[in-house]
Formats: sequence, structure tokens, C-alpha cells
Amino acid sequence: MAQGKKTNQPIIKLENASKTYYLGDEKVKAVQDVSLEIYKKEYISILGASGSGKSTLMYLIGLLDTPTNGQIFLNNKNISKLTDQQLSELRNEYIGFVFQSFNLINKFTVLENVLLPTQYRKTQLKFNPQKQAETLLKKFGIYDRKDFFPNKISGGQQQRVAIARAIIMNPKIILADEPTGNLDSKTGPEILTILENLHKSFDTTIVMVTHEANIANRAKKHIYIKDGRLAKKYL
Amino acid sequence: MKAKNSFHHLLTTSLANFKRNKARTILTSLGIMIGVLSVVLLIALGVGLKNYLKEQFESLGSNLIIIFPGGGFGDNEGGASSFGPGMMGGTDFDEKDVRNLQKIPEADYVVPIFFKSLTIGGGGEKFTGYVEASNEDVFKIMNLTPIAGRVFTKSDVQRKTKNAVLGYVIAENLFTEPAKAVGKTIKISNQRFKVIGVIEKKGDRELDNSAILPYKSTFGNLNPNKTFFTIYLGVNSEKNIETVKQKAEKILLKRYEEDEFSVTEQAEILSTVNQIFNIVNSILIAIGSISLIVGGIGIMNIMYATVTERTKEIGIRRAIGATQKDILNQFLSEAVILSVFGGLLGLVLASLIVLAIRTVFPAAINLLAVVLAFGVSTIIGVFFGVFPARRAAKLTPIEAIRFQ
Repeated sequence: MAQGKKTNQPIIKLENASKTYYLGDEKVKAVQDVSLEIYKKEYISILGASGSGKSTLMYLIGLLDTPTNGQIFLNNKNISKLTDQQLSELRNEYIGFVFQSFNLINKFTVLENVLLPTQYRKTQLKFNPQKQAETLLKKFGIYDRKDFFPNKISGGQQQRVAIARAIIMNPKIILADEPTGNLDSKTGPEILTILENLHKSFDTTIVMVTHEANIANRAKKHIYIKDGRLAKKYL
Repeated sequence: MKAKNSFHHLLTTSLANFKRNKARTILTSLGIMIGVLSVVLLIALGVGLKNYLKEQFESLGSNLIIIFPGGGFGDNEGGASSFGPGMMGGTDFDEKDVRNLQKIPEADYVVPIFFKSLTIGGGGEKFTGYVEASNEDVFKIMNLTPIAGRVFTKSDVQRKTKNAVLGYVIAENLFTEPAKAVGKTIKISNQRFKVIGVIEKKGDRELDNSAILPYKSTFGNLNPNKTFFTIYLGVNSEKNIETVKQKAEKILLKRYEEDEFSVTEQAEILSTVNQIFNIVNSILIAIGSISLIVGGIGIMNIMYATVTERTKEIGIRRAIGATQKDILNQFLSEAVILSVFGGLLGLVLASLIVLAIRTVFPAAINLLAVVLAFGVSTIIGVFFGVFPARRAAKLTPIEAIRFQ
């Protein structure tokens, strides 16, 4: 468990975080009283059954959502006091999302999709976005698809585009929500390998949400979630 | 560089969306196009009408004072609406008034006008035109120069000669070649007049269609009451206009009540007429603007639909770092581009129409119309786009990205 704790402060820390929302009149306690810490260079899986609250937990970690109760710290900074703009900028800088359904924008080409996060950086970029995007596409073997629209390429290729988009800003953490969920048994592991290679070569922290134990097992640290609470073990 | 980049992105995103929904984009812009088209056209026609009037008045020469019967122009209520020979209330003037007015030293010319519409025959043709009876100074005061023959003189007036000077159009209609009318005879109400001259084309329908006669020659059959509808005063210098006006009023007040006549200078008439047209034009433009509002509502409607349609996209953008402001700007700029695109189309179409009618009417698209087309369509885009754009921006990222 001590692996990865080379820096003494966590990138993200949840302190008794809870998220409650309403579906119609029904109160849903999606995440309850969760405390956890995520450090640099970690490879973590969040394992839970469907409806266990694992996606909500991921969105809390990804600063896409704010907790109803409890605190979230990014680099020891309490994010509950931040404005929407500050949170957006932090997402842009620190976090790369990879979704089950890829979530590419279909009216943009592959290249334009990869470039999208660079449009929202409020400060001067330290790299040439065009070159960086092309380098990533080459690296993932989809450079020849750069002018294609997402609906004209395969699922595996789409997920590679999504990963390229997630890492173009050099985020500290990649949050992957069932990244192989829409892929077949051949391309799924390929995508996992890509993510793992990023983790190895660039020390990127990976947090992967899944309901499949065998996929979760590839991670080095495991978080089990059941009914919105952290569990000792996945059942 | 960053700002430019963002702007470029807003533009490319908007264009990508329009490309995907071509029919919708064009139909939405059509509303604004029609609105801008109608407003710009109305402005252009208003400008044209003003130009036309100005030309008409300028042909009369400057330093002119016009005495009308009735309230006439100016501050008198209802006066303006009574414009036009024969439609005016008040009194008719006579030779005594002319003689009295001739005593004003600053008035170089005193020109009485009798005006009547009737059929004039000549050269085997008949033409419905006008008889304008006046004295020899009418040619000076209205800058009328003959293209053939001569104009009549003081002695023609005194001797009541049956000489006539024809306007260009009437001469052309009766004798085909206007210059050849000189020496011919025309027939007006069973009286024969000899054409002694034809004046150049003035572009004034009434003048060009008139036979101008020495006024004393019309006393009797044509003008049995020996009256005049109007008296023109030609003032020797611009600075004396006010003095002459006052003197003329004083003279006429000896014989008439205050509301039986009006003394107006040319500039005043022009400004009154312009005022009337400005009001009429403004009302028309206001009515035309309703279609702009309808077009704006169309944009708003489509933008609301677009926001719902693209909820997922909004969520994705928020996840990768778009702020609420980024999303707001995105949708707002799309609304503005739609609207300005419509405005541009409207302006182009209006220009083409104006270009086409310019041959017959001096309509013009002025800077105001162009600024208005762009300004108003931008404002419409912002106004009607801001509500949908705010809805888009206010979507919570989490709900947006989960939207199916």
C-alpha cells in the first residue's frame, strides 16, 4: 500500500465526502462518508457493482461534482471554496477523463477532438498543440485517421483518441470510467495496456472505475465501493 | 495569441454546427433576413423620397418665399395636410395682392401662379396637362430656360397675348419633337394659343406637363375669378428673407384674416415635408421591425433546441476544462453569427433591390442602414441568444455528461 507515496502530499484527498441527489422524489445517497487519498504515480482501481456509486465517486475525484457533505482537497487546497471557473481550470490542468462511451464530439475530426482541451487553457501553452496532438496520434497508431470523424472509426480507435485528448494537457491524473466497457475482448486489453504504459513512462496517476474484478486486478491499489461506501472487500 | 485561438475555436465550432444543420441554419437566418430586408428597404425608400423632394425644391431656386392660401405649412395645425392646389382652404389671391407685394423693395420678383388641370390639344393630339398662368418672372424664379423659341415677356402679359410656353413633356406629347412645337398652335378650352417657346426638361411632373401662359391672357374663360392659388416672392438676398416674410404678412393681413393665408420660405416647406416623411417612415420601420423580433424569437427557439440537443457535448467540454463563460460564449456567438448572417443576407438582397429600382427612383442605402442592419442583427442575436446560452452554461457538468 505504501507504493507511490514518494511525495508526502496527496494530489487529491477526500475527507468524509458524501453526495446525495434526488431522482424525482427519491433521495439517492450515491456516495457516503468516503475518505481516500490519491498520490502521484498511483494506479488505482475503483471496483463496484452497477449502481454502487463508483461513477459518482469518480466524478467527485475529477472535480466534476462537488460533495454534499465533507471536503475534497486538491494539492491540499479545499476545492469547496473555489468558483466554477477555478474548478474548470483545475480540471483542464490536472485531470484527464476517459469514458466508457468515449465521449468524442462527432462533428469534430479526430485531430480537433484531441486539440479541444487546449482551447480551454487560460494561460499560454508550453507546447505547440498541433504538434503535440499529432505526436500522440502517431504514438497510438491512429495518425492516419486524424481527419476522420469519430463515427467513421472503430471503438478501439475512438478510445485511443479519447486517451490522446485526456493526456494532451499532461494531466496529473487520468480518470477512466469503464474504459473497456464498450470494447471487445481484443481491443479492451489494448486500451488498458496504453493506459498502463502512460502510467509507467510518465508517472501519470491512473484511477480506473470498473465492475470487472479481473480488470481491477491489474491496478496496484484497489478501492471497493458498495452502496456508496468504501468496503473492505469487493463482494 | 490565446484570445485569437479561442475566437477561432468559437468560429470553427459554430461553422461546424451550421454545416451539420444547413437547412435549419438557413431557415433560422431567414427570419432575420426578412426583418433586415424590410427595415433597410424602408430606410432606402425613405431616403429616396427625401432626395426626390429635395431635387424638386432645389429646381425652384433659392431665396424663395411662397404664399399659400389657408394655414399652409408651419406651426398651424392641420396646415400641412392641406397642401396641394385646389385642396387648400383659406382665400385666393388677386392682382391687388400682387401689386401690394410688389411694393416690398427687397422682393425682386413677385410671381402669381394660377394653376389648372385640363386637356390641351395640338398637333392633332390631346394631352391632359396643366395650365400655369403667371407673369414673366416665373421663368427667372424657377430657373426655366427655353430649349427652343423664347419665354414670354412683360409686354406679353400686359397685352394679353395668346402666347404659350410649353413644358418639355407636353411639347413632346403633342408635337413629338419638342423643339418643333415653336410656332404651332395649341388649343386650351376652345382658345387658341401660339407656342412661342419650349423649356428644358425639369424633372418636375407638373412643370413638364404645363402650358405656361401670361396670366392676364387667362382672365375670362380660364380664370374667370381672376385669382391666384399661390404667389412666389423672389428675395434679393438670403439675409432679407425674414424681413420680406414679415412685410408680406403685414400687407396681406390688411385684407385677410391670419388663418386665410400663410407665408412660408422654401426651406421651411422642405423641412416640414421631411418631418412628415420622417414620421411616416419611422412608423413603417417600426412595423418592419416586428419581423426582426419574430426572427429573433426564431433564433431563440432554435438555440434552446440546440442546447438540449448538445447537452452531452456541453458536459464533455465542461469535463475537459470549459468554464461556464466558455459555454456561454459558445452559444452566444452561434446565435450572433446566425443573426448577423441573416442580417448580411438581408442587406445584400436590399442592395440588389435598391440597385434595381434606382433607375426610376432615387432610393439609396446609406451608412445608417448598413450600421443598423449589422447593429440590430447583432443586438437581436445577443438578446435572443443570451437566454439559451445561459441555460447551457448553467447546466451542471455532471448532469450534462450523463445526459443521453
